[in-house]
Amino acid sequence: MLSKHCFLTAALGGIVVLGNSSLAAAQTVGPNGEAATPSSALTLTDAEVAKLKEGKYSAALVWHTSSDFISAVTAGAIDEFDRAGIKVVATTDAGFDSARQLSDVETVMAKSPSVILALPLDPIGSAKAFQAAKEKGVQLVFLSNVPAGYKQGADYGSIVSDDLFQMGKQAADALAKSLLYKGNVAWIFHDAQYYVTNQRDNAFRKTIENDYKNMSIVARQGITDPARAEDVAHALLTKNPDLDGIYVTWAEPAEGVLAALRSAGNTKVKIVTLDLSEPIALDMARGGYVTAIVADKAFELGRAMAVAAGYGLLGKKAPAFAVAPALTITRENLGEGYRESLNREPPQSVLDALQANQPPSRGGH
Amino acid sequence: MNTTPALSLRNIHKSFGGIVAVEDLSLDVRRGEIVALVGDNGAGKSTVVKIIAGMHQPSSGEIRLAGEPVHFTDASQSQAKGVQVVYQDLALAESQPVYMNLFLAREKTKGWFGKLDRAGMIAETEELMRELNVRIPSAKSTIHKLSGGQRQAVAIARATHWATNLVLMDEPTAALGVTETCKVEDIITGLKARSLAILIVSHSLDQVFRLSDHICVLRRGKQIGVRQTKQTDKNEIVSMITGLKASSR
Amino acid sequence: MSVRSTFRRIPVVGQLEPSTYVVYVGFLLIFAAFAVLLRDQGFLTVSNLLNIVQETTPVTVMAIGMVFVLSAGEIDLSIGSVVAIAALLAAVLMRAHNWTLGVAAGLGAGALVGLINGALVAYARLPSFLVTLATMGLLAGVARWMTNLQSVPVIDTTFTSLFGSGSLFGIPSLVIWTALAGSLGHYVYRETRFGARVLATGDNPHAARAAGIKVDRLRLKVLILGSTCAALAGLLYLGRIQGARYTLGETDLLTVIAAAVVGGTRLDGGTGTVLGGLIGSLLMGMLNNGLILMGLAVSEQMIVRGFIILVAIALTLREPHRAP
Repeated sequence: MLSKHCFLTAALGGIVVLGNSSLAAAQTVGPNGEAATPSSALTLTDAEVAKLKEGKYSAALVWHTSSDFISAVTAGAIDEFDRAGIKVVATTDAGFDSARQLSDVETVMAKSPSVILALPLDPIGSAKAFQAAKEKGVQLVFLSNVPAGYKQGADYGSIVSDDLFQMGKQAADALAKSLLYKGNVAWIFHDAQYYVTNQRDNAFRKTIENDYKNMSIVARQGITDPARAEDVAHALLTKNPDLDGIYVTWAEPAEGVLAALRSAGNTKVKIVTLDLSEPIALDMARGGYVTAIVADKAFELGRAMAVAAGYGLLGKKAPAFAVAPALTITRENLGEGYRESLNREPPQSVLDALQANQPPSRGGH
Repeated sequence: MNTTPALSLRNIHKSFGGIVAVEDLSLDVRRGEIVALVGDNGAGKSTVVKIIAGMHQPSSGEIRLAGEPVHFTDASQSQAKGVQVVYQDLALAESQPVYMNLFLAREKTKGWFGKLDRAGMIAETEELMRELNVRIPSAKSTIHKLSGGQRQAVAIARATHWATNLVLMDEPTAALGVTETCKVEDIITGLKARSLAILIVSHSLDQVFRLSDHICVLRRGKQIGVRQTKQTDKNEIVSMITGLKASSR
Repeated sequence: MSVRSTFRRIPVVGQLEPSTYVVYVGFLLIFAAFAVLLRDQGFLTVSNLLNIVQETTPVTVMAIGMVFVLSAGEIDLSIGSVVAIAALLAAVLMRAHNWTLGVAAGLGAGALVGLINGALVAYARLPSFLVTLATMGLLAGVARWMTNLQSVPVIDTTFTSLFGSGSLFGIPSLVIWTALAGSLGHYVYRETRFGARVLATGDNPHAARAAGIKVDRLRLKVLILGSTCAALAGLLYLGRIQGARYTLGETDLLTVIAAAVVGGTRLDGGTGTVLGGLIGSLLMGMLNNGLILMGLAVSEQMIVRGFIILVAIALTLREPHRAP
């Protein structure tokens, strides 16, 4: 009796322990509830690379926009494709237009690519967009989004994304640390149905609520248009003069929030946001409002997508939902952050600001 | 020839608020005749033209067209009664060909679907140009390629073609050089043969004496007098216009 | 002896206005260039060429409407928002009703927007640029509000095959739509009184009014026409991607205007060509297609495309409009 009891308890305990350690990745779920697999699990052996080289495959990149992030993803993908002898024959940018994305897919299909890497703009519109490619048996690997009704294996190889829960959680951790674990925080979230931003934003909120009892979210504001962020932030600051910190859902609206803080002459508030952008990084380098940036490893995302495509070409099953780790970037590791996330050096302006604003050295005054 | 005047104005009075623009004007214009309306700036000439064209209503007085009393509330009504005006700015569509301008708002169509009868319009235009002796490269020429005089000729031809009673012309050669003025005046004279009544506003007394049969002088809204052109001379008209050496009716 | 006067001596061709044929020459040159550069890259295949026509059909339909609007001396900046609203309205109605109701409602919504724009322009005498700029923003908000940013799928196969995804005797339905829109638009523009009066109104509204054309009524009609074309474009997008989203048509305004202008229609009204607008739209689509197939990076595509359009516009608009 006792031994069975002990055994069960031990087993339960073991499950809890095991559960906790992979809790991080497990808490991020894919668009259709898929469990997350770390992107590091996606690799090609030398033998597999050799086999791919023989196939002389080609790839097309069908993106939704152009940005530093996409450039880094592309770089990561091309790096891996080069290894496997897969040639990128076309790149497109749909400018956030679903109809354009459909045209882009049709156009690149004229070059008969073996692989398409894409970020589908919207589950409903993109179902038709990628149909032609799906029907021709092109290996599809999707970034963050998946067309409605598509089945893994039959229709696409894998969905790759950043570790959404970690992104939000690490943002909360970083802000808490800089506020010395107490204070009032505003939560500016993305007011739209998009599982990527929704999971990140909610992860931040939950972490603050559950892990940091001396901090509270005193204001919540949703935005959809980054261009309105400055106005939204003004209103927020006026209504909540005692804010210690602000979370902003991603870098572009964060730039607007920065502008609002500067024009309000507020010097106290600390900002945490997601994704690297030059104005945000510059502010952090100068020791301004931004205390931390949590970025995804865009280069790694591209690499993982390319490998998943390779798996498809080899007839090997890829994980349904692969996530790349999140990276907390503070002033101290800004350079490294740029290199790891975007696969580039920080912009010159940021480097200059880092030089000019060296913190006072320790040991002395 | 019908002796009822194509246009008859009786005691026309027009004031805008407290300002009297036209005071007691009476005038007849007969078919086959050219009457010139002259006067200094502010004499009321344009107001008279607009009243006849239907853009203004007289405060009092009577207008008769071919003997019939008329009340126009807008410009399209006067057109319906056979009055055509050639404005100073000609009212031509610059990028359109001559024939489309001629048939502006009166396009010819053929067939069930209301398809434009371009061939018909072109033919009719060419015939009209021939009759009026208007020299243009082609009925298909675009207006902005024509000279000032040619444009004036086209505008006059248009008015002539559609008028059944009266053609009003406001400063027809004001912007033209000597040669072109000559050509246009020939066309105007040629209109008399079409038994239309013609009223011209002009500030060129030479032109008035060349073209008109009667001259009506206005000064500051008052009708100073009507003279038969053959029986008067420039001096008299000038003094009527300026008011020096006033003369009685 | 200038180049232009020498050119004028060439029989027939020399008498043409450059603005009327720049777009055709440009189209042929670009086509030839891609045919040579991409000869084994899939450009000249029937399926690729058909793709180009299908991709551009909604823009073509809008460009034809815009040719009328511009020719009358007006402009309609709200067409992008109308596309989204028509598509969303039709998609929502088709969930529970027959597709014909959806189509009627979508087109009706477009006509209604045109009526509102037109009434403000014609009777309140407000400039169409400002009115449609305001309605563009207003309607963009309406589009977002309609389904709270949600996309709406369409599964009615009759609708989708008629309006974008099907074919008749092997010819894709969108190709048929382009042909229909082009021929109907051209006929109305060139062979009817309405078309003639649109041009006269844009050329010289005072002259048109003096001649007896009801200029206000015409402006109203032309704006209704433009908006209804945009609604039709929305339905074509809906049939093609089988789903409606509030972003549909958002980026099309400038392409539509560029197609009309490159095709030979002036922004200040009075001259234009429906067929030129159609070819202008195809030219844009062909450019996009060819530049992607050439494997250029996105930034390179944008630069080359912008440059070619700049050249086309410079050539088209060099002719003086009014006499010096």
